[in-house]
Amino acid sequence: MEMFTVWWEYGFMRNAFFAILIITPLFALLGTMIVNNKMAFFSDALGHCALTGIAVGVVLGISDTSLSMVLFAVVFALLLNKISKKSAASTDTIISVFSSCSIAVGLAILSKGGNFSKYSGLLVGDILSITGREIFYLILIFAATLGFWFFAFNKLNAVSLNRTLAKSRGINVNLIENLFAVFLALIVMLSIKWVGILIINALLILPAASSRNIAVNMREYHFFSIVFSLFCGMLGLIISYFTNVATGPMIVILASVIYFCTYFYGKKIG
Amino acid sequence: MRRKYGFVAAMLSVILLLSLGLTALYTGQEKGGKRAFKIVTSFFPMYVIAENIVGDAAQVSLENLSEPKTGCLHDYQLTPADMKLLSDADVFIVNGGGIESFLADVAAEYPKLQIISACGDIELLESGSEEGEHSHEEEGNAHAWMSVSRYMQLVDTVAGGLAAADTARAKLYNENAKAYRQRLLPLQKEMEALKENAGGGAVVSLHEAYAYVAQDMGLQVAYTLNLDEERQVSAGEVADVLAAIGENGVKFVLAEEIYGKEMGDMLLRETDVRVIYLDTLVRGDYEKNSYLDGMRENIRLLREAFVQ
Repeated sequence: MEMFTVWWEYGFMRNAFFAILIITPLFALLGTMIVNNKMAFFSDALGHCALTGIAVGVVLGISDTSLSMVLFAVVFALLLNKISKKSAASTDTIISVFSSCSIAVGLAILSKGGNFSKYSGLLVGDILSITGREIFYLILIFAATLGFWFFAFNKLNAVSLNRTLAKSRGINVNLIENLFAVFLALIVMLSIKWVGILIINALLILPAASSRNIAVNMREYHFFSIVFSLFCGMLGLIISYFTNVATGPMIVILASVIYFCTYFYGKKIG
Repeated sequence: MRRKYGFVAAMLSVILLLSLGLTALYTGQEKGGKRAFKIVTSFFPMYVIAENIVGDAAQVSLENLSEPKTGCLHDYQLTPADMKLLSDADVFIVNGGGIESFLADVAAEYPKLQIISACGDIELLESGSEEGEHSHEEEGNAHAWMSVSRYMQLVDTVAGGLAAADTARAKLYNENAKAYRQRLLPLQKEMEALKENAGGGAVVSLHEAYAYVAQDMGLQVAYTLNLDEERQVSAGEVADVLAAIGENGVKFVLAEEIYGKEMGDMLLRETDVRVIYLDTLVRGDYEKNSYLDGMRENIRLLREAFVQ
């Protein structure tokens, strides 16, 4: 069928294809833990801080703003983790404060002189921004995340069930949580340019949430999450190519459809 | 258990078939015929120039990159469809002067594509913003099409480039360009007549593009506030505009209807200037005469204001 081959001739589509092949399983994996730990708002805030990361890069005169974006996001994630544990206010308040504060700083710097339009592409994402180098980074992070998952998943799971219990088992809870936050920050930052700030969180949450609607154990939970994520990513890319819509939103629309289907199915089988 | 996997498989295949079917339906409508020479233009003014030069040449296809709504290209990002369009194009006509910020990407992706830069042969005015930093990457004011005489030069450059790229139709291109120039000539004359009547003086411009109009009319631009797609104005800049109006005895403000209306209304309340809303000629219905008609209307508005 012509539909599956014509787009392969274009370099940018091949790049996008590989990026999606690598990134969607990662999103699915991390998403399961985010949904379990009720961290959806945390990852959302992380996405928003990309603006500030770029702004910091612009101020410091770094030519590759991806670097400043990643560094800033890691610092931001660790800081957020630390403060939300210490403070008396509830976590969502803290995250909200951090998130709005960093957006404000980012917007203030980037909109100076009325130039924000240059960066507005970040909001909805631009698939042409995926380059060979980005794919290389993605492969690295893919391997690292798999390793992390392999060694730390049980610990992560224990922490997500009950922190005190996990501590009593000799698990370094802080380290595990911080590592998770750092991985999350890296993956979000490496894909935000083509997914877009406004919807990157949906890509993390939706496959896992859909999977949770129907899965009965951890293995199924992961399996369905990855299947949904890959499916939406690939199909979204192809549809967006033929219909001239931004790719990120298309993927998220598909993921939402899957979420609602599984939601009603899960309710029915109870 | 079995039923669940069945459900997932069924759900995914239904979504797959449905979306691919709809997509096929959607794309099926826009298949084109055979053509020998394909020209792609970057945005509306370039399209109109090319349209007039190509005329009714056989087997030449002319397509425009951005959607008509996009207007000025400052924040335009290429979509996959644009890249597809360019992949089998022979010539890509751009304005140049930094408006097409994506040009480097295109050149890197398609090294064989011939790029004609319409502003390549002319001198651009300096970028108008007071602070010196501006959305056009500090490459000067690229809105050269706003000046009729410069526009005629753009037409020449594009015609020359096309004739060189497609020698088989070179004669036709040159003839069409000449005919188009003839039709532009009266506008240039009118502009010169206006210049004599306007009698110098200072104006405030709410869009960088009007620097060219002001120059054609022999007016000084006392202050430029470049209001476009996503410009956020700070309170200090508004004060600067008011100060510039007071200090230079400005009587006329040139503004754009879509982005400058609020500022224009404010200036009407605060000062006794007259605000003239001109068209920046970047939007339209792809009609051959849209530049001529748009410029004629601009000149009419200017005459109404300056020639009492």
